[in-house]
Amino acid sequence: MTISFILNGEDVTVGIRSGDRLAPILRHHFGLLGVQTDCLHGVCGRCLIFLNGSLVPSCMVPAFRARGGEIITIEGFSQTEEYRDIVDGFRQAGLETCGFCETGKILAAAALLEKRPRPVPEEILVAFSSVSCRCSDPDLLVKGVQAAAELRAGRLYRRARQ
Amino acid sequence: MLVSEIYTPKTVEEAITVLSRYPDALIFAGGTDYLRDQADVEISFPREVLSVAGIPELRQVNLTERFLEIGAAVTLSEILELKENAVPSLLSDALRGVASPAIRNLATIGGNLASGSRFMDSWAVLACLDTLVEARDELGARWINVNRLVSPEGKPAIPKASLLTRIRIPIDPWDISAFKKIGPKNYPCPESAAFAFAARADKGIVSDFRLAFAGERALRLREIESRLLGMRLPLSQKDRKQIQSQYRATEDPLSPGLRLQFNALIDGALDLLSR
Repeated sequence: MTISFILNGEDVTVGIRSGDRLAPILRHHFGLLGVQTDCLHGVCGRCLIFLNGSLVPSCMVPAFRARGGEIITIEGFSQTEEYRDIVDGFRQAGLETCGFCETGKILAAAALLEKRPRPVPEEILVAFSSVSCRCSDPDLLVKGVQAAAELRAGRLYRRARQ
Repeated sequence: MLVSEIYTPKTVEEAITVLSRYPDALIFAGGTDYLRDQADVEISFPREVLSVAGIPELRQVNLTERFLEIGAAVTLSEILELKENAVPSLLSDALRGVASPAIRNLATIGGNLASGSRFMDSWAVLACLDTLVEARDELGARWINVNRLVSPEGKPAIPKASLLTRIRIPIDPWDISAFKKIGPKNYPCPESAAFAFAARADKGIVSDFRLAFAGERALRLREIESRLLGMRLPLSQKDRKQIQSQYRATEDPLSPGLRLQFNALIDGALDLLSR
């Protein structure tokens, strides 16, 4: 079957099989290497994407569910100001992530800040439970997201005043 | 590999038409329970799959003074994001314990109820609250108490060729309620289960008491619940022991490990009533 959807802002069409998962389609057909196909159980967080605005593990989504939807991967998200807030916030806090979890943690932080512009530590740690990698110090994760929240709030304030 | 036909109806009526033609079709919404057991890159689907996540009627939420009505394809995250106090605290406690936020963005309340293999986290709470579920098929719609979605063997029993469409949760004021999840968070296993209890009193007398336990099997013992009604609070040692021993004496399908935990949870619930 053929499905069409919006991928990182562009209209795309792709032929899929009924049993295809979304993650391998994004990675292999569209060459989006930030989407990894690892655990296939929605636990590791390496295939996280935004599907219609919600953060989901794309390995747990059959490709047919993308039909008519909108998908943003780390490749698309990295072109946004929100991405810059998060990366700079992580850096300010001295938060280091490994190659395994970096994209998942950035997207998990983005999903959280979209809903909770000023998250409390508990909310931050819950948000990162979508990513199984434990390479980061939890205290630094909290500080990193709170720093990102400050940067984001400042940017939105400056924009509102323009 | 079997090539499946994916049906994506836009209305409940269209979905029912497909179901009446293919009663064995897989009803697929969030799919998290179905995919949890699949380790291959290629998903193994049956010949017919009915994808219902995009049906607007199944995505509605309605809050009245008496109940909260949730469309079966509303995700667990969406329920948790409903306005404060709209969702019974027992239910939000249960849903917060389901997997991770990203999985909760996919998993639906209907799917959490309709898992064929075991009772998922919300079941004990919804059973405890005497929640009604609307099931629709080609003959029409009917409301079923969640407690009836259990086979005589204590296993999940969703009516065949039916689509769960709405979940109606009564909004009742409870004086005491508690939810407890046992076992690993991300991987339901034989030793994982959920426990919910709620009680209220009127002038120091127990006026309502409900307790449900669900994992691979479900347990709700209304006979014992009704014996508690009319007992004075705080419970006397004699009343407490009587109820305790009745729960312990029941012949039930719990494994020994779960039995121990169940007994401890019963003790905890009775402790709360004894204070």
